[in-house]
Amino acid sequence: MKPLIEMNDISKIYDNGVVANDHVNFSVNKGEIHALVGENGAGKTTLMKILFGIEKPTEGQIIVDGKELHLNSSHDAIAAKIGMVHQNFMLIPSFTVAQNVVLGSEPVKKGLIDKAEVLRISKELSDQFGLFVFPDAVVDGINVGMRQRVEILKMLYRKAEILIMDEPTAVLTPQETQDLFKAIHTLVEQGKTVIFITHKLREVKEISDRVTVMRMGKVIGTVDTKDVTKEQIANMMVGREVFLDIKKPKISRGEKRLSVKDLTYVSETGRPVLKGVDFNLYSGEVLGIAGVEGNGQTELVEIMTGLREAAGGEITVSGKDIVNQTPRTIRMLKIAHIPEDRLTNGVSVNSSIKENLVVDRYFKAPMKKGLFIDYSVVDQATDELIKRFGIKTPNGNLPVSSLSGGNMQKVVVARELSSEPYVLIASQPTRGIDVGATEFIREQLVVNRTEGTAVLLVSADLSEVMSLSDRIITLFEGCVTGVFPDASKVTEEELGAYMLGVKQQTPEEMEKFL
Amino acid sequence: MKALLKTKGFREFLRVLLALAIGLSLGFIITCFVSKDPLASYKAFLFGPLSQLNRIGDWLEESTTLVFLGLAVAIVFSAKQFYIGVEGQMILAALVSGVVVLYAPFPPAIRIVLAFAAGSLMGFIWGVVPAYVKAYLNASELVSSLMMNTIALKLFEYLLSTYLQLPKVSGIMSELFPKEVRLVSFIPNLPFLAETRALWEKQTSVTVMVYVAIAAVLVAYLLLYKTPFGYELRMVGSNNKFARYGGVNVKRIIMLAITTSGLFAGLAGVHVALGIHHRIVLNMSAGLGFEGVNIAILAFNNPLIVPFASLLYGYLRAGADVMERTTDVSRELVTIVQAAVLLLITAERLLPVIQQRVTTQDDEEHLQEKGEANVA
Amino acid sequence: MSLELVIRSIFSTFFLASVIRICTPIILPAMGGLFATAAGTFNMALEGIMLWGAFTGVFVSAYTGNVWLAVLCGILVGILVSMILAVFHLEYGVNLVLGGLAINLFSSGGTVFLMYTLIGEKGNTSILPSLSVPNVAIPIIKDIPILGEILSGHPVFTYLAFFMVFVAYIVMFRTRFGTHVRAVGENPEAATTLGINVKKVRYFAIGISGALSALGGMSLSMAYLQMFQRDMSAGRGWIALAAVNLGARHPIGTLAAAMIFGLADAVANQLGSLNIPSQLVQIIPYATTIIALAVYAVQQKTAAIARMKKFQEAHFEDIKAHGETAD
Repeated sequence: MKPLIEMNDISKIYDNGVVANDHVNFSVNKGEIHALVGENGAGKTTLMKILFGIEKPTEGQIIVDGKELHLNSSHDAIAAKIGMVHQNFMLIPSFTVAQNVVLGSEPVKKGLIDKAEVLRISKELSDQFGLFVFPDAVVDGINVGMRQRVEILKMLYRKAEILIMDEPTAVLTPQETQDLFKAIHTLVEQGKTVIFITHKLREVKEISDRVTVMRMGKVIGTVDTKDVTKEQIANMMVGREVFLDIKKPKISRGEKRLSVKDLTYVSETGRPVLKGVDFNLYSGEVLGIAGVEGNGQTELVEIMTGLREAAGGEITVSGKDIVNQTPRTIRMLKIAHIPEDRLTNGVSVNSSIKENLVVDRYFKAPMKKGLFIDYSVVDQATDELIKRFGIKTPNGNLPVSSLSGGNMQKVVVARELSSEPYVLIASQPTRGIDVGATEFIREQLVVNRTEGTAVLLVSADLSEVMSLSDRIITLFEGCVTGVFPDASKVTEEELGAYMLGVKQQTPEEMEKFL
Repeated sequence: MKALLKTKGFREFLRVLLALAIGLSLGFIITCFVSKDPLASYKAFLFGPLSQLNRIGDWLEESTTLVFLGLAVAIVFSAKQFYIGVEGQMILAALVSGVVVLYAPFPPAIRIVLAFAAGSLMGFIWGVVPAYVKAYLNASELVSSLMMNTIALKLFEYLLSTYLQLPKVSGIMSELFPKEVRLVSFIPNLPFLAETRALWEKQTSVTVMVYVAIAAVLVAYLLLYKTPFGYELRMVGSNNKFARYGGVNVKRIIMLAITTSGLFAGLAGVHVALGIHHRIVLNMSAGLGFEGVNIAILAFNNPLIVPFASLLYGYLRAGADVMERTTDVSRELVTIVQAAVLLLITAERLLPVIQQRVTTQDDEEHLQEKGEANVA
Repeated sequence: MSLELVIRSIFSTFFLASVIRICTPIILPAMGGLFATAAGTFNMALEGIMLWGAFTGVFVSAYTGNVWLAVLCGILVGILVSMILAVFHLEYGVNLVLGGLAINLFSSGGTVFLMYTLIGEKGNTSILPSLSVPNVAIPIIKDIPILGEILSGHPVFTYLAFFMVFVAYIVMFRTRFGTHVRAVGENPEAATTLGINVKKVRYFAIGISGALSALGGMSLSMAYLQMFQRDMSAGRGWIALAAVNLGARHPIGTLAAAMIFGLADAVANQLGSLNIPSQLVQIIPYATTIIALAVYAVQQKTAAIARMKKFQEAHFEDIKAHGETAD
């Protein structure tokens, strides 16, 4: 039987040289639930964006139901009966469920929208596919699970036969996840085909018929789900990492500098994101947090740096609890932060490099003199930092927008590291930047650690975590699943298993090493 | 030359020049359709203000008011707040300063100083409500400032006609301020300048407010570009998430930005009362509040450029006035020119065409040199 | 004048009828502003476009002798001027506030400029034989005592204004176009993915606001007065914007808000004879708008917190369970 979807030899190379998909061959049979797994950056979302017409492949062809498709937009995809449910819902908050389902192609009677028909359509689809919703409810007030079902109904209204779901359970509670799985079974019973992007292996085993594993833009393999274990899938996902040649002198760690106790955070929609996280951070070590993005790392870092309020728990630094304190207070305790999104938080692109470098110190001596900022001191410091960190720019008065990504990140790093931090929190510090800057920044992190700073490294790049860290903890679904006191003695497979929730250490095992 | 073209400042300057050129050309085209002698009319427009001393005086006077207004708007716009309540702040400040000058039981010199302080402070206070509502409640500062403007105007009318109205006159106005509390001419009272002084005093009413305006420009510049507060304000304006991440108290800055700008708007009111009208009268502000927005935009929110923008607009307005009085073209032509200039300057996607052509070539060379390859 | 007399005059049919008429030039631009705001492109130039409408109506009627042609031309000019704002904002990225202010400036000055050029006057066009729209005496209703005096005999524009509220309601909530306008205003990205052309919708919305504002302006120069006066919109465009805000962007709410503003204006004048200053009464609707704004903002916050609590409670068992086992 020929597959319903064939994606042959798909490659996608972006303008900046990034190879997101590398000669990918991917096929899906009609009526199956096909899981597409991989770590962040593996290329799975890109592949599905190509199938949904949002991206165009550099090479390769797409064949659906025997016909070759040339998709220029999502409308073409929808016309080809392909629907996609994104992670970020595209709903109109003040409209009802039914109105959202038919948005864009509302049924009309005598020039006016046929309200009865709108309700009927949404009830009919909801019943037919077992997707329970309140058709009259305003979307603003319904929970995430229902919102997702509305997104699915939208696609079904447009007669989608193929449904692509991008990490659908990322925002759901366990109960909602079960409801979703029931719905997916109903969809398939009615002849639909479902492609399911995820990194949660438990779910892959529970619901999929076949699974395709991707890593670094390539397909590693496609197997029948019943023929593999979670460990085997994890192995395929994680694979052999490239070890970086980073000189890390062996030192013994010093005193405890930061202590996280029972940290909890619940999202706006009630989903538990951090479920009682505990760990300590010591002087002179790099503690790496390994985990696929979306397991609570972002929120954890934001809480630690004062950008988000925790639901409960304590973070103690120098005897003070910094939970729910302002960023200024936290910085005054000499906690520095390299943010995961430099364009949003790390820099002000339209301001000059020198102004970006002083946001954490403009209000104290020596930069503040009397009522004013002494810009001669600022200029001098800027020149020093530009030299010391090798920022490629003719002078510090140019706006940050004139810099490349790598150099922008160097500005962030220069600022944070030059504050001689007591604790440094680095989140995805080398994401999206060139090789040279990456090497330099990693070196700097190690230098700081050797000089005594307590460094917390959060990174989706497993090789980075393994090469730079002294100690590693794995975070999965808001819980610490494992701690590894010696990073050099653990393998990728081990870490993969803990990162993906396949394995979990007991509290007793972890206690002594956290 | 290419290097010069690449600096942002120069490109923006070019954009202003281009916008002005197009605006003025548009004005001329319209004049051709409307006037029997377009050349003479436009000449009167372009050169009129310089032709007589009293016209130069009018030009400088109006420009002075515009400077304060422009500074006020430049400050809030630097923090990316769309607050346009300058009109209301100005009018109430004018009222308050007038009241102080007429009735405060102090010698004249002190009354004048108090009037300045009171006017400024009034501007500050009038900004508190919209400032708070935006900073801490995140409600639109645009709507609240528009409301405050109207409330201010009505309040002004009420207070003037009820408590300050001069009896037995037809217009709504207060007493004339006595001579001793009026601002003196801006030419110092030195023997060798006596003749010039007498001449200026007779034909114009340009007062020492000019010096206050210059001082205000310097204060605004220092505040915005040399103090920690100004730094915080500009960072909030350019990326408030970055400001928050860096430790700045964003809410407090937004509040202070709007209220501090009121200090300058208040001075505009003081000038209108003490320097121009010498009494409190209906329609004192003549809608100048919104002109402050024009000035700030023209000056790219930079206090040092505000006086030039003010002089420019003041000149155009004075020129329009001369044109109306001496030719058959009415002064409203200048509003058409101003509107066109405003649209063109803020049309960011329209004029950058020049920028792209100049810079892409060099950037390509740059990239090749560095041989940067991005790795995810 | 005694309090009794004032109250009697407020409740007189004459007064109530005049309130309805006063609200007309506020309701019309407000309905237009409603559409523009709903599409996410609030139109700050309502005030200015009203002037162009008023101006065009007067001049075309004076030169052609045809009232209805004048009204049509007024509408077209209103749409044209609003298109200037639309193009500069949607194609060239001009900020809506600044663009609106520019158009207002252009309108205030441009109308006076043209007036002077065409007839040599700067204050008003009283020398022109411009026309006004007829008053409508509704059959049957006009003969009902009291009610008849209040409801019948108004100029066409007044009935048009109230009719527009009804039309606005139907269009916004019952037609595809209106639904798309609201969708575009709330989540343009979502609208785009579903095939809605956001730009086109916004052009239409701004055009509608221009047309209705022009009608509002004509209701001033061709009904309330029979001439054009400089700056005759006298802030009604701003009041219309405030009404849209106060009315929570819903046609009925906006109507109510517009009537509150109009009522305050009318009552203020009456109270003036009681030595209650009219200006203070006039301030009430504006102050109310700010208070409503603040209250709404606080409400949003508390609603979001309440919602969060609701979801947390629903999943309380989940959260507790995981929180306990994690360590």
